[in-house]
Amino acid sequence: MERDMFLHSAPPTSPDPPLLEARSLSVGYERRRVLDKISFGAARGELIGLIGPNGAGKSTLMKTLGRALTPLSGTAFLEGRPLDAFSAKAFARRVAYLPQRTEPTFSYTVREIVLAGRYPYLSWWQGEGRADREVAEAAMAYTGIRALADASIDQISGGQLQRVLLAKVLAQQTPVLLLDEPATGLDLMYQEELFRFSRALAAAGKTILVVVHELSLAARFCSRLILIGKGRCMADGTPDEVLRPKILSEAYDTDVCVGTHPVTHHYDIYTKVQPPAEEQACLRILLGEEGFHGRW
Amino acid sequence: MGVGRRGKAAHGAFPVLVLAILLAFFFSLCAGQYDIDPLAILEKAMEMLGIPVRSGAPLTAEQEAVLLHIRAPRTLVGFLAGAGLAVSGAVLQGIFRNPLADPGIIGATAGASLGACLAIGMGLASGMLLALPVAAFLGAIFAALLAVALAMRHGRIGTLALLLSGVVVGMFLAAVTAAVLTSLDASKMQQYLFWTIGSLDYRRWDHVLLGLFPILISALLMMALSRHLDILALGEAEARAVGMRVTAYRAIFLALAALSTATAVCISGSIGFVGLVVPHAVRLLLGPGYRRLLPASFLAGGAFLVFCDAAGRILLPTGEIRVGIMTAFLGAPYFLFLLRRYVYRI
Repeated sequence: MERDMFLHSAPPTSPDPPLLEARSLSVGYERRRVLDKISFGAARGELIGLIGPNGAGKSTLMKTLGRALTPLSGTAFLEGRPLDAFSAKAFARRVAYLPQRTEPTFSYTVREIVLAGRYPYLSWWQGEGRADREVAEAAMAYTGIRALADASIDQISGGQLQRVLLAKVLAQQTPVLLLDEPATGLDLMYQEELFRFSRALAAAGKTILVVVHELSLAARFCSRLILIGKGRCMADGTPDEVLRPKILSEAYDTDVCVGTHPVTHHYDIYTKVQPPAEEQACLRILLGEEGFHGRW
Repeated sequence: MGVGRRGKAAHGAFPVLVLAILLAFFFSLCAGQYDIDPLAILEKAMEMLGIPVRSGAPLTAEQEAVLLHIRAPRTLVGFLAGAGLAVSGAVLQGIFRNPLADPGIIGATAGASLGACLAIGMGLASGMLLALPVAAFLGAIFAALLAVALAMRHGRIGTLALLLSGVVVGMFLAAVTAAVLTSLDASKMQQYLFWTIGSLDYRRWDHVLLGLFPILISALLMMALSRHLDILALGEAEARAVGMRVTAYRAIFLALAALSTATAVCISGSIGFVGLVVPHAVRLLLGPGYRRLLPASFLAGGAFLVFCDAAGRILLPTGEIRVGIMTAFLGAPYFLFLLRRYVYRI
């Protein structure tokens, strides 16, 4: 297909050794294994979209790669070394993890939040120096929130907050970014902006893993997609390789159609479901016995 | 750090606080049943600072004794207790990310009450001056350790677990205290009741010395580490993501907060409201950044308690309104005023 050719110009199997690698990694919680023996490598400059149905384990995988969870078995490697070989701060200088749905407490200012990204560079007794401030200012300028620097984070919109949190992870100056649903719940403009930032950062050499729900958005911006479902990795490749009706239908447990938008030539992905009879019966009850129109 | 809309308040805050402390100290030295001319007190203070003043009416030996051995230690104990409670309240609110956290939340106050109750019950309190404070201190530390130990799982201290274990430990110890109390005679019960209201009566230099080092050292350490509190206040996931060893820092701050709370309760009895309200008031005026919040809470908490104690003696000249009552009487309306005036989202 011809869509967004320039996006996929980088070959999906890069000759570089993987910067971040999972080898038969099983992730989950004490009593619940979420993903079994997943393996993949992420090279420098890749923008990888993690897709899959709700509850498939995308966030659990991200948490494990960000060391917020310990793997149940298998190992994840960073620069060829196991993740737990790094000290907490050394790891945070290499991998910046943006957790899903961060809710700020206390009315810190935007600048204070962004400066928190400099934490891994400071000894316990140090305060932020001039260099740290410059990095934070640059991160705010890059994400377009410099004018908000002194605003309190409880006064800004959800889209702006997401920019602030992006600025914070950028201030960490890490080669790897793990973004867990950074675009979910945002306006279209902010969603696309976030992916444009991600694409530019990946082009500049960062390795980015991002959890995405919007499949067409993922297809437009990511150089590679990893589809997670049924407790395993179901597909891994370019958007054209992964976004096939058969694969998606199996992953999402429903009939998924994959088309192309006539104007934009972007992917158009939708489900085809017949509402079962039971649903119709329930609807009649929910609308009142005589039905909605009878009431009025 | 971020100034902006809070900038104006921030720049003037510390001189104002120092002025407030001086005023509160002066009030506290003037107030009491024994009549002493305020000018003579001022003169004495100048003289002690090495500034000779031509004297009008010098203090009598009796007046000097009242000032130096009754009012001065009382004032200093009040300052230390207020400062310690306010700083640990501010720290605990950050650790728990909860606006209702106060020094009582990790069970320390209930533990101190049990310690005090046992000391009174065994008849130690009337015999030895320091038996009651030491027992209260040990009780507070014991309760805080118990709450933290119960909340600890897999080497992590979850805030919700700690919140609940602190409350439950507090309730359990309160029940034990009640059980002990019912077996005491009326005079001992009254002694305990007075202790729970919190007072600065009969405080001596021993109390000042007892409280000085634990409170000063724990407060200074918390201030030195205040940048880490800003990270902890962002939440566990965020703090881990920037490479903080969350459990270690939580444990350090909990230990320091428990130490300063226990010491404050030990020298002044159980005084409510300071640890909850003062940090909030300061946060409203200066913002949540801990680098300013902690020193300002320390000074404001100390000044507030000294002022409450002095006001209690001025309002009821024949006796005194106990300071634990005054903190609530003055603190609640002031806090509600702040709450209505500023849009407050924690």
